[in-house]
Amino acid sequence: MANERTDKGRSAGKGSSAEKKKKVQRRDWYQLDLSAIVYPTLQRRDFSSVYRLSVVLKEEIRPEILQLALDRTLPRFPTYKAAIRKGLFWRYLEPNDRPGPFVQEDVRNPCQPMYFKANNRYLVRVYYFRNRIALEAHHSLGDGTGGMCVLLTLTATYLRLLGHEEIQNGGFVLNIADTPEEEELEDAYMRYANAKVCPPRLEEKAYRVRGTAEEFYTLNIIDGIMSVSEVMAAAKRYNATITEYLNAVLLHALLTKQQEDRQVHLRPVKIAMPVNLRRFFPSVTLRNFITMIYPGVDPRLGEYSFEEIVLQVHNYMRYHLNEKLLRGDITTNAATQRNPFIRVVPLFIKDFVVRLFYTKVQDRNSSAGLTNMGAMKVPQGMEPYIERFDIYMGQPFSRRTNCAIISFGDTLTVNFASSIIEADVERYFFRKLVRDGIHVKIESNRSQDEAGTS
Amino acid sequence: MSYCVNCGVELDKSSRECPLCNTPVLNPKELNSQVWQGMAGLNTGEVRTPFPEEKGQVETVKRKDLGILLSIVILATVITCGGLNFLVFADSAWSLAVIGACVLLWVLMIPVVIYTKLSAYLALLLDGGAAAVYLYMLTFLTGGSRWFWGLGFPIAVLVTALAEAMTLCIRMLPRSFLTVALYLFTAVGLLCVGLELMIGYYLEERIALRWSAVVLTVCVILDIALITMLSRRRLRNEVRRRLHF
Repeated sequence: MANERTDKGRSAGKGSSAEKKKKVQRRDWYQLDLSAIVYPTLQRRDFSSVYRLSVVLKEEIRPEILQLALDRTLPRFPTYKAAIRKGLFWRYLEPNDRPGPFVQEDVRNPCQPMYFKANNRYLVRVYYFRNRIALEAHHSLGDGTGGMCVLLTLTATYLRLLGHEEIQNGGFVLNIADTPEEEELEDAYMRYANAKVCPPRLEEKAYRVRGTAEEFYTLNIIDGIMSVSEVMAAAKRYNATITEYLNAVLLHALLTKQQEDRQVHLRPVKIAMPVNLRRFFPSVTLRNFITMIYPGVDPRLGEYSFEEIVLQVHNYMRYHLNEKLLRGDITTNAATQRNPFIRVVPLFIKDFVVRLFYTKVQDRNSSAGLTNMGAMKVPQGMEPYIERFDIYMGQPFSRRTNCAIISFGDTLTVNFASSIIEADVERYFFRKLVRDGIHVKIESNRSQDEAGTS
Repeated sequence: MSYCVNCGVELDKSSRECPLCNTPVLNPKELNSQVWQGMAGLNTGEVRTPFPEEKGQVETVKRKDLGILLSIVILATVITCGGLNFLVFADSAWSLAVIGACVLLWVLMIPVVIYTKLSAYLALLLDGGAAAVYLYMLTFLTGGSRWFWGLGFPIAVLVTALAEAMTLCIRMLPRSFLTVALYLFTAVGLLCVGLELMIGYYLEERIALRWSAVVLTVCVILDIALITMLSRRRLRNEVRRRLHF
């Protein structure tokens, strides 16, 4: 690859020979990974692919210490301490040595558009609010797993600065004194996109939620907080995992919404669900390494009972989530980027084509987004200081709602983020959970204007 | 601890209504005191909301540096050309053409790099004004201002007026691929008619239509076709279906 401008010789000379892992010297620039190519092209005045991860601690946050922790942590993540720039054919990341990013007090409307030339060109924002530390990152830097590494390493550094020295490194918490490994910064897609065939992808247009757009910059959030054991028990009753069960509940909510809409032509209801490829292909990359699957049901074939939806999702997951099919999927994705004719097309034409494809095809393939980060594990010594995690997929590209799930200990949080006024899908979703005997606590930033001071 | 009577979910203490179904949260036991305090405008005590109250603003991209750089480059061009004209090549006022072009360029870039919040109507008006000023400056080079008052100025006014009207239509009236085409063809027809009338009057002092009548006819036919498509929903959908991109 052209971006291998690493001074490997120097790096190898400095590093101890006993150390097998390749350490990298600072690079001049980084090629965008396969997924990251798409996100900047979708950038609009009112939309950026920004996601948000937050951790709720048990003590109030001290901003000056958090800033110190951030200043010490971020250099460990060179692809997050970066700015995005345009080349003639592709965009790329380059190290950003400008002052910042600076921690700031949290706002009611998170995941605001992130302009590439604003905020000293940083694509990361760190917020604090009472006990909460929130990290917002542009998706072109990395996926949720990479972002979680940054957030947890930052939190561990912050807690250590407060005197909790017992916190160890491991899992999502990296050692900030270490030099980044080469594998952390690699485009893992290219390593595994080696199937002998590119399986075609045939996805049909899905039902799209119609709603009234909120005013510019508004992100409506509804968090449902529940107990992992209760959700697990409900899922067990349907012989499903938590992900399959919650997926089925969301599909059920979308089906109900489509029925309520009284649409003349029914459409399949599908969910776009990112799959963490690190589960199938060993990699420690902190950049994007996800692919999308689309579990769904087609109401034109007949009415689905909830049990049938769960079964459908269960079978879909079993069939699609395996190393072979995922490898084929990555290879299909990589084929376009590898094509020499496509590579030499100027960036503005690529942007136009990708945006058109995304708006006309990709975005219409799903009715909602759902991601499950799963059960968060933190290193020993850190657990007592953490209450819960929240994760938001960010503002949806079109008028719909996105759902993100994460759990820690016995707390499972389902975070909905939407840019429409109506909360029908969320309502049907949580009512179904309540009917299944799960106790749900709702927190929202909707209609907080009136609730604020009274 | 409150629960929504409709959804059965537990609500945050600060919630006055269920975020899912907008059902108001009313505790019958505290109803009287709540109503009384509400009427008296009193707060019912400090309630901590789960989210911050302040709304954030998106960081703006600072184009100030680019604006300053371009303005200085343009100003330097104006001064040096003016100086060169005044001191070295002083046989004609040729620098007016350069200075006028610089002024025009500067006015054109105002909404892009200097003041991005400038209203589109005002920006177009300024652009038209700058073009007229530039043409007027050229009259000092051509030795007479008859062509400016007879042709240059009216054309600048006509083009500006049409651009303003089209912007108004696109912004205020329903906007789609078909309606924009309608506005565009109308503007082209009117522009051609206006141009021929002005040129004819200026050159031969007669008001008559020749070539522009052909353009106008074509535009009118296209406009009628577009209006028909717009007024018949079935036809409109058919065209959209076949021409969608």
